[in-house]
Amino acid sequence: MSGHDHPHEGPGRTASPYALRIRAIESLLVEKGVLTEAEIQDQIEYMYSRSPANGARLVARAWVDPEFRRRLLADTKAAALELGIDASGPVEFVVVENTPEVHNLIVCTLCSCYPRAILGRPPDWYKSFEYRSRAVREPRAVMREFGHEPPEGVRVAVHDSTADVRYMVLPMRPEGTEGMSEEELAALVTRDSLIGVSVPRPPARAR
Amino acid sequence: MERPHDLGGEPAGPVDRREHEVEDWERLTDAITIALDRKGVKTTDEHRRAIESLPDYRELSYYERWAAATENLLVEKGLLSREEIDARAAELSRAWGER
Amino acid sequence: MSPFEPGDRVRVLDLGKPGHVRTPRYVRGKTGRVERALGEFRNPEDLAYGGDGLPRRGLYRVAFDQRELWEGYEGPAGDSLYVDVYEHWLEGA
Repeated sequence: MSGHDHPHEGPGRTASPYALRIRAIESLLVEKGVLTEAEIQDQIEYMYSRSPANGARLVARAWVDPEFRRRLLADTKAAALELGIDASGPVEFVVVENTPEVHNLIVCTLCSCYPRAILGRPPDWYKSFEYRSRAVREPRAVMREFGHEPPEGVRVAVHDSTADVRYMVLPMRPEGTEGMSEEELAALVTRDSLIGVSVPRPPARAR
Repeated sequence: MERPHDLGGEPAGPVDRREHEVEDWERLTDAITIALDRKGVKTTDEHRRAIESLPDYRELSYYERWAAATENLLVEKGLLSREEIDARAAELSRAWGER
Repeated sequence: MSPFEPGDRVRVLDLGKPGHVRTPRYVRGKTGRVERALGEFRNPEDLAYGGDGLPRRGLYRVAFDQRELWEGYEGPAGDSLYVDVYEHWLEGA
């Protein structure tokens, strides 16, 4: 069902025929002046500089600073820029906060839209047919596969990114993290908790 | 199959949580696709439409869909021809001693 | 003026439009509630074929009750699903 999304079952696997074709396309586009090598390299660098660590920093700051939290929820791009994260572009970003009443889960059923400008590339499973089909219909079963069961009484809200808005979850701050530095807090924020299939790590030591 | 991408709610199996290392050609596909977007050669919407129109949508991997769609759009817009892509691919293949 | 306000009940039309549309099949014909207006955007249905996407269309985040969307939904009554839908796919319910 997932086709070649996970072709890496062992040594000697065959490379995709598209590997060769995209290099042919690159070569032709540069030759014809449609793109320059520098422009292509810029995009490669752009994606290298985007990662879940950016999301973790935004969350950690929101946990320690209620005014920043408010700004993050009101205008995510502007708040990201405060921390040096450039998410500019035509796409809008919205952060949805987890509360004691609501747990949020993000999906893009139609294609795999993801807040790339902040978090970088999505994980393979986010792009899989299985996740895209089931996250909307059985979010609790999907979260269970990731080891998370929302507590009794918590409602689940799923967001399907069907248009030009990209979503990220602001998880709840774990118990027992009082007095931790922003850096220590950021280390608890996993990529998966920003998508909503699970929650942040608990602190290493009980306090 | 019409709208092979419109998957929400379809029955499906467990989510495979294994992640593969992004390959260089996938990184390149991503970069070329976005660079073409940034330059106004094509839009994200055209890219999605081209992906959705792939007859082998369900058989291709994520970045194979991107590469196929980008190729199809470039040909559709008359910027490259299928023949010259084929020819360049064959040349590269010979030069690198690949299959 | 926005045709829809937060709190309005809306039904998703099944426009039977071919080509690139961003309204998933699973919400067509379903009724939800506008959670908020997201602003106006160029129409992707037109942009997808090289058009300019004008005039811009209003985009709305619509909340659906999961139990109303899916038969046999596993979860409590408060579980919801939010989808961003363009105005021309909505009618007041």
